[in-house]
Parts: sequence; structure tokens; C-alpha cells
Amino acid sequence: MIRWDVIRGNLPLITSKIWEHLALTVVAVAVGLVLSFVVVIAIRDRRRFVGPVMGFFGFVYTIPSLALLALLVPFTRLSFLTSEIALVGYTLLILARNLLTGLDAVPRDVLEAADAMGYTRWRRLWQVELPLALPLIVAGIRIATVTTIGLVMVTALIGFGGLGQVMLRGYNFRNDTLVIVGFALTVALGVVADLGLSWLGRVVTPWSRARAAAG
Amino acid sequence: MSAATGSAPPIAHRAATVAFDHVTKRYPGTGTERPGAVEDLSFEVPAGKICVLVGPSGCGKTTSLKMVNRLIEPTSGRILIDGQDAARRDVTELRRSIGYVIQQVGLFPHQTIGENVATVPRLLGWPEVRRHERSEELLALVGLDPSTYRDRYPAQLSGGERQRVGVARALAADPPVMLMDEPFGAVDPIVRERLQNEFLRLQADLAKTILFVTHDIDEAIKIGDLVAVMQVGGHLAQFGTPEEILANPASDFVARFVGADRGLKRLSLTRVDSLELRPAITARPGDDAAEARRRILADPFEFLLLVDAANRPIGWVGERQIPTSGVLAESMATSMSPLLDRRTTLKDALAMLIDAEVQAGIVIDRHGTLRGLVTAEDITAAARRDRSAAS
Repeated sequence: MIRWDVIRGNLPLITSKIWEHLALTVVAVAVGLVLSFVVVIAIRDRRRFVGPVMGFFGFVYTIPSLALLALLVPFTRLSFLTSEIALVGYTLLILARNLLTGLDAVPRDVLEAADAMGYTRWRRLWQVELPLALPLIVAGIRIATVTTIGLVMVTALIGFGGLGQVMLRGYNFRNDTLVIVGFALTVALGVVADLGLSWLGRVVTPWSRARAAAG
Repeated sequence: MSAATGSAPPIAHRAATVAFDHVTKRYPGTGTERPGAVEDLSFEVPAGKICVLVGPSGCGKTTSLKMVNRLIEPTSGRILIDGQDAARRDVTELRRSIGYVIQQVGLFPHQTIGENVATVPRLLGWPEVRRHERSEELLALVGLDPSTYRDRYPAQLSGGERQRVGVARALAADPPVMLMDEPFGAVDPIVRERLQNEFLRLQADLAKTILFVTHDIDEAIKIGDLVAVMQVGGHLAQFGTPEEILANPASDFVARFVGADRGLKRLSLTRVDSLELRPAITARPGDDAAEARRRILADPFEFLLLVDAANRPIGWVGERQIPTSGVLAESMATSMSPLLDRRTTLKDALAMLIDAEVQAGIVIDRHGTLRGLVTAEDITAAARRDRSAAS
């Protein structure tokens, strides 16, 4: 079923599509992270906005991806921007919710101690609150990344899509090998990203392992 | 002026007076006695003294404490630190100059113990080497071996150890004023007792000005040079030394709050070495028994105290155990409890005497040599004398 000569012949295409897939994913998650950070910082002390904002992100999340792309094309054409708008949109709910939950979970006594020792507001955020929210932030990034890797395939319909393009080409040319290669590499990408981020999360939060060790 | 230049000042003898000047804190709402409110509070803590704010929950003691470092801003009135109005100082700079210890400790879980202790020096921009030195010095000061604890995380420490780190962290930048909110409230009674004693020993060297909040009157009496008893509504019910408050409660509220056993509590403020001790009838092993027997029969107290050549007690010999002839031997002596150090409080001494077989406590000095005897009657007589002197 798998023809190695096809793989060899399409190697440059496959490699470039792996990079495209990664680039689409990384940009989407990075932009989503920055956006949700700004939004969460803006609303966390104005709790009445939390419900509506999270509700809006939830609504965006429920729009079918194909429908969203079709809706955006008349405005932003068949472009990288169109792909990213859609991809970023789907990361916001997960990232913003985890960021907010993580910040809310910082113990009150830790915040009080930080204030009493003379932390300024920003310094407290960067050096105390965000580090302590890291486990939940990283968990959000993991889910958002894996979800995005899957969603990137759909953007093949507007000319992007990374490994989605490989699959689409295989489908159009009745070439099973390309379909299977596209599929397998996408799954592999998702698994590697998930494991890698999980490892990274442990490395940047050495204190949570200390807690587990202390039992 | 910058803390980042020059060498580290030694951790000692930097203290400031703290004065409350008609301080009031009201919370919005209609109730006149809102929990946490403070009403027209005025008192002054001299530099280097411990002032304990004590009272039932909701009496405003924690609110009062938090107004000093402006975690809460007063509605009216001023708090003066060395005569300077705290409200006019930059709030960040003010807080970095005041140590703060709370019951839950509030250590940063993501930082090692060494980093936690160096928090305020880091905020003040001290160079790395000096931060490290100070951190090591403070861990040793609170009795935690730096090489063992420096690189651990708070989650790996016991409650008592965390509390010590909290105290070390509060002392890191050598603040003239320390605020402590029920710092020993979350540990078990045995650890609490030990932490209190260590804290008092530390304070004897450091002489910081300390405001200390507790709801436990016994802790207040033990820790405080001065005690401010507060009652619900945020009124100051009485301000004075523990002795004054126990001897002369200013109101029924204070009398009830300090408890019906306040006479007994007062005994915990006086130590054995302040009493006039009774001489003991002593003899050494090898002394003539008949002669010793004659001496003990001439005295109303029926026990002879056997001591060694250096005048260190060996044990009691009852008059019936003394042979009519021959010499005294060490084997005749029975237990010599209760053995009292001259620093033992009268309360502890009395407790030991009540349980003792021989109704006299043997008081020894640091070297274990005999100073004299004390009886339950001596203690109660001293308590009565104190009371008439105080009133």
C-alpha cells in the first residue's frame, strides 16, 4: 500500500509541509497566548467582564472550522492571515481559561506576603503569580497546541494546511501513500509536541516535583 | 541612600518607635460594630519592645497590624514610625523596611528556601553575593543548617521549619519594625512552645520593635513587654505591661478575657531567682550520721539534702533513713526532684511542687551547685506580696 518511491519523490514537498505545519501551529499558539494574556490581565480585576469574555471565546470555539474559513475568505482572501485568524480563534478559550484559573489559584497568603514585602504590582505578576500559574498555563498550551496541529489540516482548503496539503494532494491524485504519510506525520507531530511540552512543563516547574516527592 | 552600596549592616539593634495616634478604621455598612473595625486607637511602642495586640476575633487587632505597613489604610488618624507619618512614605519603600510574618507563612512555593529568605534584599537590589551571605546567616540564626535547607522548596519542610524560614525572611533586610500575625498559631503546642522560646532568645539579641497579634492571652503574657487588650468594636480596653494587666484589669471585659486564673498566670511572669531562697540542711557522704541526725531533728523540715564536694545536690535523705551511728552514704539518698533552675517560672515551680514527694524545690545555678530551697508556701506568699504591691 505504501510506495517508497512516491515518498522519495515527494520528500522535498513533505519536508517543507512539515515546516509549514509547525509554523502555522507555533504562530497560532504564540499569538493566542499573547492575546489571551492581555485579555486576562485586563479582566481579572474586573470580574463582571469575565463571564461575557469567556462566553465569547466559547462561542468562537463552537463555530465549525470550515464555516469560519468560508466566512473569513471574502474579507482576508486566501491568505496566511485568514488561516491564522481561524487558528488563533480556537486557541483563545483554552489558553485564556487556563491562564485565569492559574492566576486565581495562587494562594492568598502568598500574595499577601508579596505585597507586604514591597513587591510592585507588575513585579508580583511576573515573579510570583505567573511562575505559580505555570503548571496550568503549560497544560493550556499543550491542549491548544495539539488541537491546533489537528486544525491546521483544514486550512489546506484555502491553500495552506501543512501536512493537510500532502493528504489533500494524495486524495486528489488517488495516491494512498501520500494520504497515509500526511496522516501519520500529523499524528506524530501531535504526539511529539504533547510529550515535548509536558517535559518542558516539568523542567520549568521544579518545585512541583519537590512537592510530589515530599508527599 | 541605597541599600545596594556599602557592606551589610550587622543584623542587630535597629529599632524604631511605633505610635498609633487616634487611628480609626471604619468599614462601609450600617453596623456599628463591624468585625475588623478599629476605633480611636492610641498607644506607643518604644523602640526594641514587643507589643502584643490581643483580643477576641473581630476586635480589629489584625486590622491594626496591617495599617502599619499600609496593607490597610486607616480611615483617620496617623501611625508614626520614629515620628514619621507612615501615610506620607512611599508605600513600597515603607513595606520593604518592615518585616512581616503571618500564620500561613506565605513562602513562595516556586522558590528555594535560600531565595525565599533573600526576597527583600533582592527587591532592594542587593548584589548576589551579599544576598547569598545574608540568606545563609539568617538560616543559621533561626536554627536551620544552611547547607541542608538552602536548596529545598517550602513543600519539603515541616510547619515549624516553614515558620522559622518566615521569620528569617522577615529579618532579611534588617527592618527596624516587625509585624507578626499569629505567627505560631498553626503549629502544634509543643512546637509552638519551642518557637516562642527561640523567638524570645532571638529578640534578646536583635531588640527589634515588634507588633505581635494573637488571640491567646497566655502567649501575650509570655511574649509581650507590653500588651494591648482590644475588644470587639476596635476599642483599646487596656494597655500596659503583662504584670499590670494581670494585677489590675481595667474593666470586667479585661478581667474576663485574662481569665479567672490570672493570679496563677502572674506566677508565670516571675522566676525563682527573684525569691528569697531558704537555706537547706546539707551534708556530704562520709559525714557523721549522728551529727547530721541531730541537725535535722532540730529543724521543722524533715529532709536532709546530700550534696557532693562541689556543693551539687545528690538527693534527699529523710530523717528516719539516717542511721543513728556510722557515716552517711550516697546510697541513702532518694530522688531529688523537683530540681529547679533559677530561671524556672514560679508557675512551673508550683506545678512541680504539687506533684512532688518532698515539698521543697531544690534551686541550682548554671553549674548545678545548690542555691537554696523553695516551697509552695514561699511562692504563694510572693504572689500575695506582688498583688498588694501592684494594687
